[in-house]
Amino acid sequence: MIAGARRRLQAPLPFLVAGALLGGSGLLFATSWSRIGPAPGEELLYFPSGVFVKQASLGFETAAADAAWLRAIQYYGEHRLTDQKFQRIDHVMAVVTDLDPAFESAYVFGAFVLAQELRRPEEGLALLTKGRHANPDSWRLAFETGFLHYVCRHDYAAASSCFVQASRLPGHPDYVERFAAFASQRSGNRDLAVLLWKRVLATGNRYMQEVARRELARLEAPEAL
Amino acid sequence: MTRVAAIARNTLREVARERVFLVLVLFGLGLAGVSLVLAPLALGEGSKVVLDFGLAGASALSTLVVIVLGSSLLHKELDRRTIYAVMAKPIRRSEFLFGKYAGLWIGAAALLAAMTALTALLLLLSGGAFPWTVGGALLLSLAELMIVTGVVVFFSSFTTPLLTAFFTAATLLAGHFAEDLLYFGTHGASRLLAALTQGAYWLLPHLEVFNARGLVVHGVGVGQDRLLFAAAYAALYGGALLAAAAAVFERRDFK
Amino acid sequence: MAASETSARARVEAGAALPGLHAVGTLAPLSIEGLHKVYRDSMTLRPFAAVNGISLTLERGEIFGLLGPNGAGKTSTIKILLGLSRPTAGVVRIEGRDPRDPEARRRLGYLPENPCFYDHLTATEYLDLVGSLFGMPRDERRTRGAELLERLGLGLHASKALRTFSKGMTQRLGLAQALLNRPSLLVLDEPMSGLDPVGRAEVKRLLRDERGRGATVLLSSHVLAETEALCDRVGILASGRLVETGSVPGLLAGGVREWEIAAERIPERVAVTLRAAGHAAETVGSRWVVRVADATALQEVLRTLLAHDVTVHAVEPRRPTLEEHFMAALGRAEASR
Repeated sequence: MIAGARRRLQAPLPFLVAGALLGGSGLLFATSWSRIGPAPGEELLYFPSGVFVKQASLGFETAAADAAWLRAIQYYGEHRLTDQKFQRIDHVMAVVTDLDPAFESAYVFGAFVLAQELRRPEEGLALLTKGRHANPDSWRLAFETGFLHYVCRHDYAAASSCFVQASRLPGHPDYVERFAAFASQRSGNRDLAVLLWKRVLATGNRYMQEVARRELARLEAPEAL
Repeated sequence: MTRVAAIARNTLREVARERVFLVLVLFGLGLAGVSLVLAPLALGEGSKVVLDFGLAGASALSTLVVIVLGSSLLHKELDRRTIYAVMAKPIRRSEFLFGKYAGLWIGAAALLAAMTALTALLLLLSGGAFPWTVGGALLLSLAELMIVTGVVVFFSSFTTPLLTAFFTAATLLAGHFAEDLLYFGTHGASRLLAALTQGAYWLLPHLEVFNARGLVVHGVGVGQDRLLFAAAYAALYGGALLAAAAAVFERRDFK
Repeated sequence: MAASETSARARVEAGAALPGLHAVGTLAPLSIEGLHKVYRDSMTLRPFAAVNGISLTLERGEIFGLLGPNGAGKTSTIKILLGLSRPTAGVVRIEGRDPRDPEARRRLGYLPENPCFYDHLTATEYLDLVGSLFGMPRDERRTRGAELLERLGLGLHASKALRTFSKGMTQRLGLAQALLNRPSLLVLDEPMSGLDPVGRAEVKRLLRDERGRGATVLLSSHVLAETEALCDRVGILASGRLVETGSVPGLLAGGVREWEIAAERIPERVAVTLRAAGHAAETVGSRWVVRVADATALQEVLRTLLAHDVTVHAVEPRRPTLEEHFMAALGRAEASR
């Protein structure tokens, strides 16, 4: 009788032990890994180049590019909220674009962050140039190169040239012609800059929109007029 | 019904009733769910993520079905001796093998098509445009599966399930690296190595022929030329594998 | 036994077209000549002869029993007959065709030893598959399949998955799939295995029905008592060789071992006298049994018993059983190696 009762009490014991150990491992991970392990997206920095990752993708390069893209966003977002140290965004976006050379958003976002936030416009330009070599018919990459020349490097001739190229590429929206015209006329830095930032506000992702709001506020402040 | 069709139907039934198949289907559904969860985090590239993960998942899972279930396909028959009663009927060994191949391919192809359709549906539900170009990617993947199935059936005609799975995975891996293999082999110092890598290059399946996911995801359709080429290549290479498997299987003594 | 042997021969000699079968002329249903099969041991690579020079021809309409202990080469021989294995040497013909020719198997029915079928299918689905392999039209497959399942006591289990079948049920299904195409040659490897006495009796009846239909049956067994009752001829296999072939009565005819007299109430002094003369005399229940070694002494003993007013119920010759003959044949084969 007592033996039977003892057996009944002991029966769930192995499950309880397993549950406790599992809970313990989860708790350990939750509390300590973020402190000890690499920051999110950091592992992308350890790949010498995207070419290596591409080989390992075995035909699933675009999916791997997306996975890398998601990691890259995490990398940027985490650092932006904390220490503003996203210096290696160039390498990270290089991995993404090596995996998927047609991934236009990666070139654009990478160049944007490099030029606008890290104040490294030449590297941003290099990234966009890489994109344009891989996608010569992309009006978007030509346009964004023009944007970078105008807003970050203040090279209006180069900007004008890029906007005009974009206006000749298939699938471009109407405003591209207007920007090409403005840039050609060089109708004042401010007006075109405002137009460009308003476009970013309308079409960019939320990080880019934040920057656009900031720049517009600066341009439209009374002291700027 | 022809003998090949009868064996194919039986094999398809067997594949569909296997627990592993069900597990992989559930895994596929899980993958689709994950892509939906990740899409909003992709900073505007959600549609791309859903499509990429969907197509990659469909291709990977259907390949996995072929390798996992196919590697023990013949061995199970020989081990449990279910083949004895079947081969005592007026059926050729090659017919039996072709039936096994067809049934396995159809099962994996059904999974591939279903997952691709699910991906397209998820894309529509998450607000994206319907990706008509996915049809081309699907056809190429179906042709690729013909080769993968052929490789599995070939190895299973003479070796154990574990080795079949291993050799198949190795062949598919090498097939993806075929170009690099050739480059490094022919640019090396050794003439023997160059000859070997050239030989390997021509023997291995060139699986990049069937990979148009990169194009499709960026809205570029697969051209008719490419489709015809892929179909012809799959038919020839797959046919060669089946012929070799049939030749080996014909000579086997059933213990 | 003699009657069935005669009728089998008569059928062959008559050369008549047999009911349910095509007229196949004078080709033997099965002929084996000089069959050898040598395997190599997978570890030591030493050659090992599983079949060592078997020659045999079956007569149309007979039931032939291939007897032998485990490892004698029965299953190896059968696998060669079905094209599942290649002979190292020798010629096998089924109705004049090589067994590896699929057409040779069109009128063949085969039951493997300890059969295993696709357990993801039901009995009906399995017979449907088998019927497709014979090219039977769908309706015929369904009808014939249902008929056989009913006949073999599986009617109520037709829609159950084969993985739920017991050994006996699987054996019955094995017979069903072997009979689906109304075969002219039935090859059965241990057909009684897994069956209870009722099942075994049914199988025996079924095989006799098939013989009556004109089919030829080759069955391999190591259950000799049942084979003795069923077979027209037997062949004894030992170490890959066919050591003896013949009809059962023929094999056992040579040698009445002893005579057994069943009698009532033998007086003790008579029993003593009989024992003194070297005969066994003992009570078995309420009766007496006297065993006499030879026919001459038998007459003497009978006269003695009758002189003492002993009631004699029966006088029976004791022939060796097939099992005893079989063991003796094996012993001779072993000695001659």
